[in-house]
Amino acid sequence: MSDFLETTVDKFTFKVAIDRFYNPEGVWVKEENGRIRIGLSDFVQQRSGDVAFAEIKPVGTTLAAGQDVAVIETIKVNITYTSPVSGNIVEVNPAMTDAPEAINLDPYGAGWLAVMEVTDWEAERAKLLDPQAYFNIMKGQAEEEAKKL
Amino acid sequence: MTSQIQKIIIVPCSGIGKPYGTVSREAAYAVTEDLRPGQTQLVPLALLVLGDEESRAVVAESPAVTIDGCKLGCAAKMVQQSGGTIAQEFAVLDVYRNHKDLKPQGIAELNEGGMKLAGVLAEEVAAVVDGILTAKEGGENA
Repeated sequence: MSDFLETTVDKFTFKVAIDRFYNPEGVWVKEENGRIRIGLSDFVQQRSGDVAFAEIKPVGTTLAAGQDVAVIETIKVNITYTSPVSGNIVEVNPAMTDAPEAINLDPYGAGWLAVMEVTDWEAERAKLLDPQAYFNIMKGQAEEEAKKL
Repeated sequence: MTSQIQKIIIVPCSGIGKPYGTVSREAAYAVTEDLRPGQTQLVPLALLVLGDEESRAVVAESPAVTIDGCKLGCAAKMVQQSGGTIAQEFAVLDVYRNHKDLKPQGIAELNEGGMKLAGVLAEEVAAVVDGILTAKEGGENA
């Protein structure tokens, strides 16, 4: 079984990793031994373009779900992403300083943004989208984008 | 016998409608028209894409410096597909990362930051051209 759900819209193929959860913006959340790692979906990185800079809230920042967690500047746009969960940032991907193109090259792996501690993961998870639900939303967004081409 | 000095080929991005593509072309114009006009020759990417025989021959004969506006790297890919040798690849994004204050905006007409970024990039390309020519001269005199 594949690790991804995939769809091809126009000439672009988008993948959704099935081992994590998502918010509707396309920020993914993966639980790892009591902590959660966050990053951007493949669709988000392809739609946004080559990343020039990534500014992530620093370690020690406490965020409520919906508060700004990262500003990504690409060759096309500047986008602010909000945290999909409430918690404390305990680690920021060092690659975001030196090589933020990792977001484009490996959005579900080396291009992660931050690691957070959450107090009630089960409650947080209940507010997120499972891979299939996000895939359906993402596919609709991709098809809308394709109409603009 | 005096050997003719080979020009370095400059191939910029041909992306239309994107500031970074425009920066690559402005930098290429600055190098070939102002900074190193006698040592460089601009070859439009579009001619390589069309398979223009004259352009392919020029690229195949001389070292090329490519300037790409995005990570698709069309300029570099087309030089390689045309049988050319890339002496150095430039990406506008890499230069911008070192000059965050020079954010390029505008397409047909770049903003001040974009023009300054093109100038910085052009100087870097010119330095590479000098290095290539110096190395060639050294090799020929050895």
